[in-house]
Amino acid sequence: MNEKIAAYAHPDVLVSTDWLASHLDDPSLRIIESNEDVLLYDTGHVPGAVHIDWRRDLNDQTVRDYIGPEQFARLCSAHGITPDTKVVFYGDKSNWWATYAFWVFQLFGHRNAAVVDGGRAKWVAENRTLTREIPKPATAVYPQPAARNDAAIRAFYHETLAHMQAAKPMVDVRSPGEFRGEVTHMPEYPQEGVLRGGHIPGAHSCPWATAANPDGTFKSIDDLRAIYQSGLGLNPADDIIAYCRIGERSSHTWFVLTYLLGFSSVRNYDGSWTEWGNMVRSPIERSTT
Amino acid sequence: MAEHPQALKDIIDLCAGLAESERREMLISFADGAARQAPQPGESFDLEDTRKDEECTDTVGVFLRIDDGRRCHFRITLGPQVQTLTRAMTTILCQSFNGASPETVLDAPADFVPQIVGAELVRLRSQTVYYVLGRMKSAVKVWLNRERAASA
Repeated sequence: MNEKIAAYAHPDVLVSTDWLASHLDDPSLRIIESNEDVLLYDTGHVPGAVHIDWRRDLNDQTVRDYIGPEQFARLCSAHGITPDTKVVFYGDKSNWWATYAFWVFQLFGHRNAAVVDGGRAKWVAENRTLTREIPKPATAVYPQPAARNDAAIRAFYHETLAHMQAAKPMVDVRSPGEFRGEVTHMPEYPQEGVLRGGHIPGAHSCPWATAANPDGTFKSIDDLRAIYQSGLGLNPADDIIAYCRIGERSSHTWFVLTYLLGFSSVRNYDGSWTEWGNMVRSPIERSTT
Repeated sequence: MAEHPQALKDIIDLCAGLAESERREMLISFADGAARQAPQPGESFDLEDTRKDEECTDTVGVFLRIDDGRRCHFRITLGPQVQTLTRAMTTILCQSFNGASPETVLDAPADFVPQIVGAELVRLRSQTVYYVLGRMKSAVKVWLNRERAASA
């Protein structure tokens, strides 16, 4: 384990590209690529990596929700994952979707999981091997979890509203223009159906990218403490909700706060701005800073 | 409704008969060709418009030349973070609209995108594929405004 990773609060959930390269043939691992770019995996991936698509595999196809325990067990079994398998996620966009998939796996209590620091971009930048060969792991037996445990790490609208009313800390990880209410989506991204712009009253603005280095790796523990603890005034024991627009960027921040800094109570409000900004009479604040 | 250029119709027809795996392969092949749509040494343009997005889609440069016969010739540059589908669509759009009139480009309906990409890959976050078409139309619109101003 390198020095930077060892310094984090839970270093076991982060691995380096060097570590991954030396574990490609480890049968106790399943490497999983999760991207925003729907064709990126098909263009080439880390040898042995399977593809988990956030929308097709992790979202319910009818209701705006995640898959249930039965579908999760089926998904894992199909990819040769058992409860003992260490699942190692990486992906594009500085690991937005890798941390999102990691978060969904935590809803089902799959603790033996890690994220590759720097994600796909770092692996590619280091000229490491990519393959187009699709692995076909033998089907495994993943017992159906008793339930999906949303309460600890997922926040719903009414909980976020109560959180706001109690003046508890919230982190809005969208871009500054979205926070200020000037735009309702990321630049050049489609408008995902939000009627009002702004932010949840009282939320701190701290874009997800603040926690990432230009190469997509996470910033050092000291830098992260400076951003979230000295900068925003958050404490490790605080009850915190992070949100963005649909919950993927805030998964990145949730991962940083929970595992890298060791905060004990962080929830991801995945309904995020596409729910809050559409809800009738939702309190909204706009600002110029 | 405006008609698509024949080259685009051919691609749409080709996609209609493909299985999902073949469609993906074809799109990756088009994406691999995106780098060849960049300006070549010695080429000059009537319009150059390169913009960098602060967070997501990276840099997209649109270069337009319109020849004496009022035929469009596009070159496109894409930053490394641009999505695979967008890169594929860049090749498809350059092949389809090179030689078309400005009016044909401007009036082109965007309904061909889901026909080419297919239901499995059409999703909100993939709709940056429309972005390059929008930028090409914007460039043509500027050129047409200049043409109108020059003839007034």
